[in-house]
Amino acid sequence: MLAVRNLSKKYGRRWLFRNVEIDLEVGDCLTVIGPNGSGKSTFLKCLVGLVDPTVGTVTWNAEYGYSALDLAVYPALTAREHLELAGQLRGIPANVTPLLERVGLSYATDQLAGEFSTGMAHRLKLAMALQGEPKCLLLDEPGAGLDQTGRDLIAGIIEERLNSGSVVLATNDPLEYQFGTLTLTFPM
Amino acid sequence: MEKAWIAVLRKEALSELRLRSSLITAILFAVFSVVCISFATYDLQISPQLGSGLLSLSMLFAAVISLPRVMLVEVESKTIDLLRLMGNPGDVFWGKAIYNLIFMAFTSIVLTLLFLGFTHVGVGNYALLAICMAGSSAAFAGTVTLCGALVTHASNQTALAGILSVPLLLPLSFLAVSGLRVALDVQGTFNAGNGMIAGLGLLSYGLATLAVGPYLFAVVWKR
Repeated sequence: MLAVRNLSKKYGRRWLFRNVEIDLEVGDCLTVIGPNGSGKSTFLKCLVGLVDPTVGTVTWNAEYGYSALDLAVYPALTAREHLELAGQLRGIPANVTPLLERVGLSYATDQLAGEFSTGMAHRLKLAMALQGEPKCLLLDEPGAGLDQTGRDLIAGIIEERLNSGSVVLATNDPLEYQFGTLTLTFPM
Repeated sequence: MEKAWIAVLRKEALSELRLRSSLITAILFAVFSVVCISFATYDLQISPQLGSGLLSLSMLFAAVISLPRVMLVEVESKTIDLLRLMGNPGDVFWGKAIYNLIFMAFTSIVLTLLFLGFTHVGVGNYALLAICMAGSSAAFAGTVTLCGALVTHASNQTALAGILSVPLLLPLSFLAVSGLRVALDVQGTFNAGNGMIAGLGLLSYGLATLAVGPYLFAVVWKR
């Protein structure tokens, strides 16, 4: 599903991570842990192609969905319009109602994302990541900004994903460690 | 299913209609520039040479202050990553360039109508004026979208986009002045053929920048 070879990232003179090698298969949950600034988010961004690694390769054999705390949404678009845009760009059905129901955001379908709280925006990004039922789900700090109901929802989605695919989590939340079958620790 | 570039175009149009940031800026600029020109020349007959220069300059500034925002605002608000995750550079470029083209065509029409209405400038060749406006809109939209797209990963995008656009906008401005000079020539002083060549040159310039834009944008798309 995912093969990472010799992945390394350097900012200035400092290596954030070096020579990371991973093979991810169905049912695997890779938990990336480490203190703030250790490179967890950058690692996930390298996996999805938002950041170029200094060295190494990332090979995907499956579709993936990505959601992160620092991923911005369009303030002038509604939740529905976000999912429609995402679907059209990827060439897949938008599935607005089922996806928003799944992340508990159906009550705000036609509300502008600029009026969303952090948790609501987080749920919208999660809905976009789940669009098209990707085999692998990459979540950066999935529980951040969410209340207990939201965290339970994330846990449910991770469990559900692991039945048919894999999950990569960048987190410092001990409650999310339970899913990890593989752990990658980034020291400071 | 709607094509991907149409989805980007729709997103731009919806955002602009709801926020109205660029439209108000461009219209205000058009009104202010025409009012200033009209006030300064109220008792003068403006020659086609001067008229073409003033109109081209007004269109140039209206384009430069509003169009690059379509690309740079994505970087400033960090929504560019959302597009990079989901879309491909060709669709994103086309959606934004077509939006800029429609926006620029609308601004050009408003600006030209105000200019002709409030100054003592006549029109000698309406067909050429239409070609020049269409060509200018395409060329300004293509060039400014391209400049905005090429600097998305630079550290000081707005300044760099401005500097990068100078060598691209200079020949475009020469062509616009040459074409409009003939279009605004009521007495038939200038060679109509030269004006038509300039007008078609503008159209070709616009099409060329729109055609190469997606390929250049693809190079800088992935960080």
